Amino acid sequence: MHIVVEQNRFQEAVNQVAKAVSSRTTIPVLTGIKLEVNREGCVLTGSDSDMTIQVTIPTHENDKELIKVDKLGSIILPAKYFTEIVKKAPGQQLELELTAHNVVKIGSGSAVFQLNGIDAEEYPQLPSINENQMFRLSAQLFKTMIRQTAFAAATSEARPQLTGVLMKLENKTLTMVATDSHRLSRRTAQTEADESVQFDQVIVPSRSLSELQRLLDGEETTIEVLISSHQLLVKTDHLLFFSRLLDGTYPDTDRIIPDSFKGTLTVETQAMINALERASLLARDGKHVVKLNCQPDRLEINSTAPEVGQVVEQIDLVRYEGEEIQIAFNAKYMLEALRALESDRAEIGFTGALSPFMLKPVDQDDLLQLIVPVRT
Amino acid sequence: MERIIFLVDIQSFFASIEKADNPSLRDKPIVVAGDPERRSGVILAACPLAKRWGVETAEALWEAQQKCPHLTVVKPRMQKYVQASLEITNLMYTFSDLVEPYSIDEQFIDLTHSLHLLAKTPAQAALLIQKTIYQRLGVKARIGIGPNKVLAKMACDHFAKKNERGIAVLDRETLAERLWPLPVRALFGVGRRLAHHLERMGIRTIGHLAQTPVTVLKKRWGINGERLWLTANGIDHSPVSPASHSRSKSIGHHMTLPRDYMALEEIKVVLLELCEEVSRRSRMKDYVGHTISVGVRGARLDTPIGFYRQTQLPEKTNHGPDLFQAALTLFNQHWSGYPIRSIGVTLSGLERASEQQLTLFDQPLVKKERLNRVVDQIKERYGDSALLRAVSLTGAGQARERAQKIGGHYK
Repeated sequence: MHIVVEQNRFQEAVNQVAKAVSSRTTIPVLTGIKLEVNREGCVLTGSDSDMTIQVTIPTHENDKELIKVDKLGSIILPAKYFTEIVKKAPGQQLELELTAHNVVKIGSGSAVFQLNGIDAEEYPQLPSINENQMFRLSAQLFKTMIRQTAFAAATSEARPQLTGVLMKLENKTLTMVATDSHRLSRRTAQTEADESVQFDQVIVPSRSLSELQRLLDGEETTIEVLISSHQLLVKTDHLLFFSRLLDGTYPDTDRIIPDSFKGTLTVETQAMINALERASLLARDGKHVVKLNCQPDRLEINSTAPEVGQVVEQIDLVRYEGEEIQIAFNAKYMLEALRALESDRAEIGFTGALSPFMLKPVDQDDLLQLIVPVRT
Repeated sequence: MERIIFLVDIQSFFASIEKADNPSLRDKPIVVAGDPERRSGVILAACPLAKRWGVETAEALWEAQQKCPHLTVVKPRMQKYVQASLEITNLMYTFSDLVEPYSIDEQFIDLTHSLHLLAKTPAQAALLIQKTIYQRLGVKARIGIGPNKVLAKMACDHFAKKNERGIAVLDRETLAERLWPLPVRALFGVGRRLAHHLERMGIRTIGHLAQTPVTVLKKRWGINGERLWLTANGIDHSPVSPASHSRSKSIGHHMTLPRDYMALEEIKVVLLELCEEVSRRSRMKDYVGHTISVGVRGARLDTPIGFYRQTQLPEKTNHGPDLFQAALTLFNQHWSGYPIRSIGVTLSGLERASEQQLTLFDQPLVKKERLNRVVDQIKERYGDSALLRAVSLTGAGQARERAQKIGGHYK
């Protein structure tokens, strides 16, 4: 292996795959990044066995030569040192050459590193994916869907399935659901898929999706999503993203989504967020219960923190229809749900003081957030 | 302003209560001891007469009987002692509003601001307290007086308990003269192991420790080293806080079994009983918990075997069967089939139950709560054994027996 590659482009690729590399792995070889030079270009792979990221830098792009290949070959380099060396390289270009005994010479400007690697044969095989279960959608849409749902997934391992995001596809419609049992997010969107493609009970770890969301930054293309029984694969032009799926059965969430309400409130989302942030100022350790009182002409939030103090605020409401309601909830859940609506106006439907209430953007039915109240 | 803190300790508490209750025992050497049949045959308390024969607290009953052949053995009545202890606490509140029960027979009282209402000197006030307790309960109190809690405690343990009056003062002026010559193991907070380590460093008396540079101690034991040094120098800023017992961090129950349990079926019974006890007490204190831990000790004391492990519950709860599910899973993960002598269950990560986050999937919550409320009410009214699970009536069950006990001894 012997190449000369543009430093900027190479650094970007190394950083992307390094996101999947964990220093705490049971498989020592996975602390490294695999580097493979073939006729198409340079392929970098990083993995923590749950999540695998592969980025390809083509030799040529738009008639511009990105990599000058002298010799093909492959090697595994320790991610910890390799990423830093690439980042701090002084020159515009990097020269990588595999010398004898798995040692890679990395030269840039006036600096030359000799880094010990591991034989590329040691690297685990990528998961194989049956390409039948496939759909396409725009990278930006997928990113938005992740952003609007993944935050609601559980962080505690008590119910492992809930640490993931449920994906199901039916009639070309993709539904993503996440819940930690205290709140729930659901987003649906149209995709390009064959009529015959449908699946249910695909649970993707929310950590993988958050990582994917970052990888898709600035990606304007359409992506392909492939599903097998144990893996998810997301493909873009130069990127392959694999994630293990979670075992277990995701609870049936359709039946807990309310369809009739005792009261429906419409508010300016930002005004509500501002008021809740003020009410949360008295919060300690992130758990803060806020009480909301809704009447046709009046909306009030109040909150009391023992030993700290209390706050009351009247909020301008656009509209409230229904009976008077008094409800308490965790302000953090409400804030996260409101922000995820990404809409100027929010519609909040109440079903009672002790049962879940639903938030959705006004005039939009493909997104909903459900929050279970706190009993006081 | 220098504080005035008392530590009030009751002499041979359990034994004294028994003697006060039964005057025919007054001039006999007596001990309060558990039932050897049920593995609780140790001396819980010995009266001064019995102690003169060499009887010691915590030794086996048979040993005591050898030392003192005409010893009268009284079965413990824990409920009575708890009541007496509460009564003493309430008496103490007539002297100051700052009373902190420290153990069943010890109480800290801060008299800084009320002394002038009671007497001219602290010693006079101590005499008054002794008299009041004797008149009300017929038991003798020993009182240590100091400018803070550790000095009051050590005044009581090392001096008041040894003099006729049962009152001793330890202040900063007399500290060097009276406390420092004592061996280092006499210092509050120094156990056998720590004393051994200190002696190996050449620190044999409290005085040696007080004059050791604090940095040396801090380097070796961290904050605890600094605390030791402060204690040796008679410095302690901790307040007498009546609330220190009211806010719990965890709620746990533990039982030593009357015989070794080997079968899972039997162990499950006591595990369930413990979970029910823990959940009931959590409900009484208005708590839900997020973490459950299970501790087990093997039967053979010479080869210590066992575990203490914890896990997160899916939801904060105080519902017995939910605790049991988690406890059983933990137990099965860590138990390798050896016979068991004792077992305990603890709920921690406590939060107020009254402000509870409801959940999407646990809809029968309200149902569980209604059931618990009724069960608690029945037990409250008719006693702990009024309503039991059927398995508790099998040979392995301990709930019935435990309903009659406090701290492993009969009420």
